[in-house]
Amino acid sequence: MIEVRNLKKVYNGITVVDVPALQINKGESVGLVGNNGAGKTTLFRMVLDLIRAESGEILSNGEIVAGHEKWKDYTAAYLDEGFLIDYLTPEEYFYFIGGLHGHNRTYVDEVLVSLTDFFNGEILKKGKYIRDLSKGNQCKVGVAACLLQEPQLLMLDEPFANIDPSTQFRLKNLLKDLNRNKGVTTIVSSHDLNHITDVCDRILLMEKGVIIKDIATSSSTLNELEAYFGVEVAPSAR
Amino acid sequence: MITTFLGHELKAFWRSKNTGKSIAIRVVMGLLILYLFGCILLAGLFLNEILGQVFPHDDIVVSFCGIILLYFLFDLMMRMQLQELPTLRVQPYLHLPIKRNRVVGYLAFTAMLSVFNLWPIILFVPFILKVILTDSGALPALAFILAIIGFMLFNNYMALFIKRRANLNGWVFLVFAAALILIITGDFRFHLYSVRNISYLYFGHLLNKPVLVLPPVVLAAAMYYINFAYLKQNLYLEELSSRKASAYKSSTEFPLLNRFGKVGDLAANELKLIFRNKRPRSTLVMGLFFMFYGLIFYTNSHYGQTWYIFVGMFMTGIFIISYGQFMYSWQGAHFDGLLVSKINFRDFLKAKYLLFTMVSTVAFILTTPYAYFGWRIVLVHFVMYLWNIGINTTIVLFFANRNAKRIDLSKGASFNWEGVGATQMLISFPLMITPYIIYLPFSLFKHADIGLAMLAGTGIIFILTRDFWVKKLEEDFIQKRYTVAEGFRNK
Repeated sequence: MIEVRNLKKVYNGITVVDVPALQINKGESVGLVGNNGAGKTTLFRMVLDLIRAESGEILSNGEIVAGHEKWKDYTAAYLDEGFLIDYLTPEEYFYFIGGLHGHNRTYVDEVLVSLTDFFNGEILKKGKYIRDLSKGNQCKVGVAACLLQEPQLLMLDEPFANIDPSTQFRLKNLLKDLNRNKGVTTIVSSHDLNHITDVCDRILLMEKGVIIKDIATSSSTLNELEAYFGVEVAPSAR
Repeated sequence: MITTFLGHELKAFWRSKNTGKSIAIRVVMGLLILYLFGCILLAGLFLNEILGQVFPHDDIVVSFCGIILLYFLFDLMMRMQLQELPTLRVQPYLHLPIKRNRVVGYLAFTAMLSVFNLWPIILFVPFILKVILTDSGALPALAFILAIIGFMLFNNYMALFIKRRANLNGWVFLVFAAALILIITGDFRFHLYSVRNISYLYFGHLLNKPVLVLPPVVLAAAMYYINFAYLKQNLYLEELSSRKASAYKSSTEFPLLNRFGKVGDLAANELKLIFRNKRPRSTLVMGLFFMFYGLIFYTNSHYGQTWYIFVGMFMTGIFIISYGQFMYSWQGAHFDGLLVSKINFRDFLKAKYLLFTMVSTVAFILTTPYAYFGWRIVLVHFVMYLWNIGINTTIVLFFANRNAKRIDLSKGASFNWEGVGATQMLISFPLMITPYIIYLPFSLFKHADIGLAMLAGTGIIFILTRDFWVKKLEEDFIQKRYTVAEGFRNK
């Protein structure tokens, strides 16, 4: 699905992403973890052709992403609020996004009805513009807009960060369902190790722009990650 | 503590986005401010002569005393429109161990740092020093200055107080605005009383009895105290912030645009952008005021057709110029989303053309009543309308590809320099000059009609070849897209 070759991004002389080779297959669920500044968001942005790589290339379905637009047909992403048109009401935004993919309003309404639980009564018919919603609710709008596009590739950057516990569980179930039952390839980043090991079959650990670990999730993965991130904690203290 | 506050305040000013980052903008801004300042200072220095000219039958001291209150009446109106609440700036200090009195005192004090509090001083004090000091002596002059400062501060805190109340309850603003308008119409329209006479009544007596300076000083102090007390009681974020308690926001549709498919959807979104955000909305409203621009030129036979071209271009295309010069900064906040969405950039550009064409058409229709000054004017308008939707739209979009400055939509338009850069300075040259490059050679040789026809023809050619320009603009954008998107990500 996604193939990365010799990818490099440099800001002010500092290499922020350096991925010599990475292959993500169709139907995989990939979790991206790493401390702030590890290069997760930058990598996402390069996959979405939002920033230009210094060198190397990214292929989506065998076609180079940069300068091409075919990947837009099957890719949906929500990285931050900058993806939302914040002066629209959520309904207007959903209809707009649906319209881009040729879906009529009845179809959009049907999808939205299926998301009733996920929205938890906070999104639709509230009489607010997206900019007046809380960050967590904006995240719900962003994720829902992704689902509307019926993607084959779904990318979410820290989706668990601002949403409430109930929504976190619902989102996890949504992601699992999409991946296992509908074959959607998902790439999700998070700082919550429990969530990410729960949702993803494969974990990529980034440090200073480099993928230092590529693990197939197993029962020991969580411990392995906690050991990496808990650098300061002496073993006896736990 | 106060010095720390002041230090932060200075940093906030110099580092604010509205101030503009580049040296060029600061220089231009500085020159503009100096120019305005100089104009008012000149007016202040020669106020005695101006008053003598305007009211030749009255003594200049009498007319001076007459205009002061009148000035403050209009000052209050201006403040209600333009003065900004210095409020949210205290948010970072509220939870820190700083005494409330100090925070509130700081807020109330910084409220004085407004240009509005400079104008009356540079306008009136020179006159007081020149005339009143020499005629009546030091004590009345001092009383005058104190009284003027008193009224000034009263207005300052009055306007802020009303604005704060209005944040919680919009009716307060309406009632107050209605009262102000009633006071003004009562004087100028119905002649029930005269603010000038009242003003003279007070300031005339002030000349003889300097003790009378007390009322304005007491008024100012009282207003300051009311403000202080109100702020102290209501030092909560939601009451301080300028975000009003919001009404139910309903979804809207523009059925007319539906027939244009995706392009129509994009144009509809942009219309919503304009109507639902403060700064683009004020740009549109200012454009409406420009519809009266022609009255200045058409009523004066001194201006010929060469001027009409300029006026016609502005009236039918003001929106293209004033709104288009900041493209695509308006959408900077969600530009990443647009780039990732399944939007063909050609559709995106076509939506811009559609929007410009619609608004210019409306503007052209609105200017048809100028037929009163001759049908030829409408003809010139029509030619310039074609020019606007043909060429100026393309020029504006060409520069939009080079503009990567983010704009915060929620801020007002007045004195807002955010998003202003070299692009906006450069763009005015081609917009102003190109029509004259085509028109002047013909008109100088007494063939103005051919010049007009050439303008119209060029416009039509560009409209007919729009698809070609859209393609060129798209190719151009693909080169620049990373820079533009990067710029918009820089908050």
